[in-house]
Amino acid sequence: MNAIIRTEKLGKYFGAMAAVHEVTLALQEGLFTSVIGPNGAGKTTLINLLSGFMLPDRGAIYFREKEITRLETDKRVKMGISRSFQVMNIFPRMTVFQNILLAVLSRLNKTSSAFSSLRSQKEAVGEAEKTLGEVWLQEKKDSPAGELSHGDQRLLELGIAVATNPQLCFLDEPSSGMNPIERIKVLELVKKLAAERNTTFIIVEHDMDIVFSLSDWIVVMNRGEVLAEGTPGDIRENQEVRDIYLGEEI
Amino acid sequence: MKTRLAILILVILLALLPAYAGKYAVYVVIHILLLSIFSLGFNLLFGYTGLLSFGQAGFYAVGAYGCAKILLAYPSLLVGIVGGVAITGVVSLALGYLCIRHTRIYFSMLTLSFGMMIFSLAWKWRDMTGGDDGLVGIPRAALEIPGLFKINMTPMENYYYVVLAFAILAIALFHRIVHSPMGLTLQGIRDSETRTACIGISVRKYRLIAFTIAGLYAGLAGAMLPPLESTVTPPLAHWSHSAEPVLATLLGGIYTFSGPIVGSVIFYLLKDIIVRFTEYWQICLGIIVVALVMGFRGGVVSIFLRKGGRP
Amino acid sequence: METLIFQGLVGLSVSMYLWLLAAGLTIVFGVLGVLNFAHGSLFMLGGYFTFTYYGLLGINFWLAIALSLLSVGVVGYFMERFFLRHIYHMDHAYQLLLTFGFILIFDDAVKMIWGGVAKIPPMPSFFEGTVSVVGRPFPVYNLFIIGTGLAVAIAIWQLFEKTWWGKMVRASASDREMASAIGVNIPTLFTGVFVFGAMLAALGGALGTPVRVVAPGIGAAMIIQAFIITVIGGLGNLKGAFVGAIIVGTLSAYGILLFPVFELFLIFLIMAVVLMVKPQGLFGGG
Ligand SMILES: Nc1ncnc2c1ncn2[C@@H]1O[C@H](COP(=O)(O)OP(=O)(O)O)[C@@H](O)[C@H]1O
Ligand SMILES: [Mg+2]
Repeated sequence: MNAIIRTEKLGKYFGAMAAVHEVTLALQEGLFTSVIGPNGAGKTTLINLLSGFMLPDRGAIYFREKEITRLETDKRVKMGISRSFQVMNIFPRMTVFQNILLAVLSRLNKTSSAFSSLRSQKEAVGEAEKTLGEVWLQEKKDSPAGELSHGDQRLLELGIAVATNPQLCFLDEPSSGMNPIERIKVLELVKKLAAERNTTFIIVEHDMDIVFSLSDWIVVMNRGEVLAEGTPGDIRENQEVRDIYLGEEI
Repeated sequence: MKTRLAILILVILLALLPAYAGKYAVYVVIHILLLSIFSLGFNLLFGYTGLLSFGQAGFYAVGAYGCAKILLAYPSLLVGIVGGVAITGVVSLALGYLCIRHTRIYFSMLTLSFGMMIFSLAWKWRDMTGGDDGLVGIPRAALEIPGLFKINMTPMENYYYVVLAFAILAIALFHRIVHSPMGLTLQGIRDSETRTACIGISVRKYRLIAFTIAGLYAGLAGAMLPPLESTVTPPLAHWSHSAEPVLATLLGGIYTFSGPIVGSVIFYLLKDIIVRFTEYWQICLGIIVVALVMGFRGGVVSIFLRKGGRP
Repeated sequence: METLIFQGLVGLSVSMYLWLLAAGLTIVFGVLGVLNFAHGSLFMLGGYFTFTYYGLLGINFWLAIALSLLSVGVVGYFMERFFLRHIYHMDHAYQLLLTFGFILIFDDAVKMIWGGVAKIPPMPSFFEGTVSVVGRPFPVYNLFIIGTGLAVAIAIWQLFEKTWWGKMVRASASDREMASAIGVNIPTLFTGVFVFGAMLAALGGALGTPVRVVAPGIGAAMIIQAFIITVIGGLGNLKGAFVGAIIVGTLSAYGILLFPVFELFLIFLIMAVVLMVKPQGLFGGG
């Protein structure tokens, strides 16, 4: 068993509301995993817990069998876990290039350098240029990130997330607000990055066609709990899953 | 290239100032330089890190009182200034540790409160600070490194060069810092704390660094005041004094490197003119702040925003 | 022991001014999301208006207080309607800057109008005199303040729990969009809440007039006390504001006995400890 990330009876409660409840999961390295479920199922909260953005009320989290349940976000990133956000989260007043560069500088532990110019950071600059290319944003490298189109901002956020060179990367609805064609392009890009960068991606995605065609493993959540998990084939056959997606073709 | 030339000309003009301008002009320029240093530090927090401090005068006062105490006990200009700055560094590190643990609103409120704590200390701790009379008779001690040189500071022109040198040094250093990886990190925190944390950066650590640097700059400005005025009093720590770098920065533009410096010039001249007509300077200050926030709808700020983060 | 009890009562009466002050600040913050730095200045204005109506013009004490509340309410109305309202959509920093600008304005404005020296208004004759508490004379007026403070606490609680307006306010505090969807007129409600908060501050200032001096600069002194209270109690939490006010008021009463010079410092120390141990305040979430 080489679970890259594993949880034991994870729980997060907002008042009486169980956003995540008794979630026990072991997600395998190298499997392209999707987390699906209706709105409010607890997908984002689960990612928040795994990425250290929120602390759980109960349970434990292990990354490569090291306990990280209450570890700060930035330390988790240093261990190789990164993420993107469902609601756009970039550095709007910085240029596109600087957005990526900052992530690379952080990975290279250069952020505390106060007396060198950015240009002199050759390694970081080179790596940032390369990452920009990977997410198709070279031409826009000098525009302020806040002025990009929605789709480009989504790509930039993906770029920031992978620029830290993660082993494990959570993407919370990376294609939200895009049209179906863009969506497929972006998800295929993620799949390609997974192979090239040797990163395990765990994504939240609403487009079931894409989920079922691209995923190696699917986790279905409902009301904070894991309803089912398995290969796309298993999930397609699962009656409970069919029930909550009532009417939708899966 | 053009900017370099302009800066060079400006520095030459400043260096020759005592030759072509009177004593009062020299005195005014010293004050403008002090305010520029003060405001730059403030803007490292506000414009670059997104933290609005209303308590920077507290650190200014720590620098001023620190330097004054040292000069009264041991008259050496360098020891006084460097010592004042060092004390401010310690104080801002300690208070920073408390202030940066919070949201931005909390931060503004804590800085105002701790600034006023320093004010009330300056006011009430008579034995140390002289209470409301302040400390008087502070010597403008000679600039001296024993065995190397000793320059008399009695003529204000001489002291002007010390201030100018420190100011150029502080501004150049500031330019370095904000254009370094650390400067980019602070801007990241300003733009999105959560995104910054999620690329592996400890937001708290860098906020504390920014806070301490801002404190050091306030302390430097403060430490250079007592040799000029020969006295320090509690109002230096008062919240209304904290308003000065705020307004200077707003006037000049918060997302630019040179904004606080330009703003300091405008601010000082404005103040100089207004106080000739009315004793109610503070109300004018307030009206300008309100007008800037309202009139520009985010302001001066958004005008400069277009130009991005560069000077 | 007697000193302890006596001083505790003194502290309690101080706490009540602080509570009136902190309550307004907290309600406005909770509903509008704006931390009003000029809130202490509204307290100060309440004092000056009462001094004018009661001390200078000789209007009946109760009427003078009512008029002061009204006057400060009008000031609050202008602040919200013509300034704050236009910048709700902007970053918090601009709201803070704006209200900070107002402290500067109010501070100098009272100097222009009432002069730079402190005013000591008279005490209404029916409040003169003392009662004996643990064998010592305790001013009747202070008892009145304690009573009023508690009454206001109960009234506010009733207002938010029981009345339609209070429920509306709470609804908009927890979810603006939802409230607006069910027909709450948010802009009007915000103005109302801001004016209400301003009047609470003014009430504190007005009630303080007969026993505390009215002077320029107390606005800033008061806002800092209010901030310390909210840090201790937890920002945006009324229960926290009440308990915080009692802690700060009582501590300053005892502190003044123990360390007359550094009484304020003691309170800062408590605040620092709370910040380190429970950064969200005693009643704050998380
Ligand atoms: N910070 C929060 N405070 C209160 N409730 C929250 C918070 N975050 C999420 N929730 C609630 O938890 C539930 C799960 O939300 P979320 O994880 O965002 O679901 P999903 O991403 O699957 O749509 C929702 O009912 C949501 O309202
Ligand atoms: Mg979600």
